[in-house]
Amino acid sequence: MGVLLFITVLLIAACGLIYELIAGTIASYLIGDSVFQFSTVIGTYLFAMGLGSALSRYITKRLIERFVWIEVTLGVIGGFSSALLMFAFAFTQGFQLILYALVIVMGILVGLEIPLLMRIVKDRYSFRDVVAHVLTFDYLGALGASLLFPVVLVPRLGLVRSALFFGVVNVAIAFWSTRLFAPQLVQKRSLRAICVLMMALLSFGIAKAKFITSTAEENIYADEIIFARDTRYQHIVLTKFKDDLRLFLNSHLQFSSRDEYRYHEALVHPGLAAIPAPHNVLVLGGGDGLAVREILRYPQVEKITLVDLDPEMTHLFSMQPMLTALNQKSLLSPRLRVINEDAFVWVDANAESFDFIVIDFPDPTNYALGKLYTTAFYRAVARHLSSQGFIVVQSTSPMFARDSFWCIAETIRHAGLQIFPYHVYVPSFGEWGFVLAGTRSYVPPKVVPDGLRFLNVEFIPSLFQFPPDMAQIPMPVNQLNNQILVQTYENDWKDISH
Amino acid sequence: MRIGRRDFLGTGSAALIGLSLKADRKIDGSFVNEAAGAGHLLRDHKPFSPAKKTEKIPVVIIGGGIAGLSAAWRFHKRGFHDYLVLEMNPQAGGNARWGENEITAYPWAAHYVPVPGPRLTYVRELFTDLGVLQDGVWNERYLVFSPQEHLFLYGRWQDGIEPSVGLTQNDRNQFRRIEELFAKFRASNEFTVPLELGISSKFAELDQISFMEWLRREGFDSRPLNWYMNYACRDDYGALSTNTSAWAGIHYFASRDAEEKGPLTWPEGNGWITRRLLEKVGPRVRTNQLVHKVIPSGHGVRVHAGEVEYSAEFVIFAAPTFLAPYLVDGFPQLKTFAYSPWLTANLTLERFPESAGEASWDTVFMDSPTLGYVDAMHQTLRTYIDRTVWTFYWSLAEGTPTQNRQLLLEKDWDYWKEAILHDLERVHHDIRKCVSRVDIMRMGHAMVRPDVGSIFSEERAWLKRRTGRLFFANSDLSGISIFEEAQFHGVESAQTVLAKLAGTK
Repeated sequence: MGVLLFITVLLIAACGLIYELIAGTIASYLIGDSVFQFSTVIGTYLFAMGLGSALSRYITKRLIERFVWIEVTLGVIGGFSSALLMFAFAFTQGFQLILYALVIVMGILVGLEIPLLMRIVKDRYSFRDVVAHVLTFDYLGALGASLLFPVVLVPRLGLVRSALFFGVVNVAIAFWSTRLFAPQLVQKRSLRAICVLMMALLSFGIAKAKFITSTAEENIYADEIIFARDTRYQHIVLTKFKDDLRLFLNSHLQFSSRDEYRYHEALVHPGLAAIPAPHNVLVLGGGDGLAVREILRYPQVEKITLVDLDPEMTHLFSMQPMLTALNQKSLLSPRLRVINEDAFVWVDANAESFDFIVIDFPDPTNYALGKLYTTAFYRAVARHLSSQGFIVVQSTSPMFARDSFWCIAETIRHAGLQIFPYHVYVPSFGEWGFVLAGTRSYVPPKVVPDGLRFLNVEFIPSLFQFPPDMAQIPMPVNQLNNQILVQTYENDWKDISH
Repeated sequence: MRIGRRDFLGTGSAALIGLSLKADRKIDGSFVNEAAGAGHLLRDHKPFSPAKKTEKIPVVIIGGGIAGLSAAWRFHKRGFHDYLVLEMNPQAGGNARWGENEITAYPWAAHYVPVPGPRLTYVRELFTDLGVLQDGVWNERYLVFSPQEHLFLYGRWQDGIEPSVGLTQNDRNQFRRIEELFAKFRASNEFTVPLELGISSKFAELDQISFMEWLRREGFDSRPLNWYMNYACRDDYGALSTNTSAWAGIHYFASRDAEEKGPLTWPEGNGWITRRLLEKVGPRVRTNQLVHKVIPSGHGVRVHAGEVEYSAEFVIFAAPTFLAPYLVDGFPQLKTFAYSPWLTANLTLERFPESAGEASWDTVFMDSPTLGYVDAMHQTLRTYIDRTVWTFYWSLAEGTPTQNRQLLLEKDWDYWKEAILHDLERVHHDIRKCVSRVDIMRMGHAMVRPDVGSIFSEERAWLKRRTGRLFFANSDLSGISIFEEAQFHGVESAQTVLAKLAGTK
């Protein structure tokens, strides 16, 4: 019995430490400031343990039964602590209140364990042996847990499942204790039934852990998250609500499947349909394949080159069934060549000539992206343009970011191109703007491909009309050595949000 | 009992926090481009083996820095190829050398050139040749990208290096007043680059006092202003404002237009210019050639380098001028040529520190003894940057140059690496988690020091005369060590040589 008893002590210690670490880690993850979170969680936990130890003197009868109850309760609370904390953060305002309440309850229960256990076994060993053995295994268990936690549990199981797993262990100890101390125990059967029931509950939780985690994360976005990944370059999130699929890159909305056709038809057709014989097309950015889908409507186009920095992005939109349904497997077209490289670097290093060039980058929210909206960049791109060709540039909103839109237009003009700015209404974005540019004058197309849902030849000329509240304003030129667009863009959106 | 257990959970958790905080990286590196050994052979007059062969060559250029390479560039453009450049180091470029790793090219010393004004005809000519100036427009790719400079002071960042936050009304007034004074000096056209084109004895008395003394006389006691003026001296001259000639201190501010855009810069700094010059004149440059004797005579100059004796008609001495007494037969001792010792380091960063602020080109910490650092990836066209190289600059200006040269030589790599990281740690607490390599270059005589009285020294005037067959061309002839001066003297010497060669035929 001796060895088994001390293994019990070891496991109890491990469980106690794991719950404490989980509380500290979740608090750090969700709130940040890890030193503060760990310090206060550990402090509160240890204080509560002291409280538990002090309270243990008031338990005078039926020690074994009480011990079993404590283990079961601790197992269930500790097991679900992780899930509870995540939900508390996602759905309530009182995360910290719940955190410290939970830490205090668990601490008190853990504080009760060892004093009770020592009193239970005190008649079997000398006091000297009890103290030595119990503490030895107590320390050993905690060492094991503290190593297991960062190396195995967090990376392999995750926080929700780690907690639940140790909850099961805790209840298992309770069950085991009913056998270990069977001679001194009445009501064995009902206690064991409760243990089995609770273990089943915790195991169910382990099976559903993924659901628990994603439900909590979903609350950050409006809709259900169906995909989330941190690539080397960006945070990709896909959400879905009924038939509306949305892509977010670094939390910026890229498209909504309900109205993206408006954006992508407007991006491609006013320019491409106006070119007599487009054979070779370049797309910079646009790893979602939606612009490519529109370009593939032209049988004359023999070759499309897509340059997008992030291989995980183009891979995702080549493989994921819901996304390939949206882009009609455009990224798998034999006419397409995908190059995962930095656009500026690629444009500089190549000499190929293109009839139509689509520039569909994220908005200039930082100095790195700002480089892709400079005269230096447009000059480099213009070198690739055939004499008949056009460039089209995604140019933010002429309504919400009017200064930025006209700054981009002016920059393209300064790079030596004629500009033909236009705009469309995309419900999920609002009023959105593009700049078409080339070395010749623009005549709107007489024909557009079949099957378009938004554009026709009658409507296209009207896109080039700007009402007074979006009309051109004089703006300076964005260059690598001034990067005025980034500041302009920030101010534009600041004005909107105030 | 409870105590034991309490302890235990405490230590367990502490162990976890320890594990969760990533340990510091192992930092590799070494001293690089060491030149003191070769230099000291000359200083100590060590015997060199006699020449085993003789080569006849019309012109020898001693020193493959910007002055020497600019002389070569002028020869090249005039279609004259009967010359050789002898460079002591394995790599040409001098203070415009560069290095390269798998992340980026980076400078080892000079890292920018201010946008040259109309007086700088040779610099504008070179930049037109190199595509930096096209149809009168500066190529945007070579102007420093925005954001350019930032200063860390009072626990925060500000744009630009001239302090602009936390100023009192008095500070502001003094900054305005000194700018007005500099504008007057600028309007006098006495303070020009190249220095030779404007200088007269009009303000010669300013060379007789220190810049600090001048500031005091003019009533400038603002602390931020004095920090900034001292920083400018340390950065450009490797000297404190108390050791810098007031004429030179004023020259720094009065020689260029205040509203100039730029400067021009490249990932490898002025190494880019060296690289482009070597594309043209590289075949005429011989590296690892330690010149140890120069013997001028009435009808030619003999130059000993290694085991070769070059028999030349003319020699352009483009190496630092202080070497002349050690090399040239019968050359008098020089008194006014002092040099500042420097240390530069290139730090490889596996990631940016969280505390890096807005990614800027040049970063300076107020009240640091060092000069800050430049980000080599700043001029990249890439939009995604996760690793970089920082070039860290430190002119050892406190104390005497001799003491500091001693210190540079005595202390090992680990000492300097720690000194650099300690300085950076004052602002970037997580720097040790980011840096994987620190390579350090020690330069005992990095640049000429415009000490009090040095600009108007007679020695300097004498060396600039360009008579006989040995012409001096290093930037130190002007008393200030900048690219434009080196190029000016290099080109002028080459033109003198070409004229003399034409005359002798």
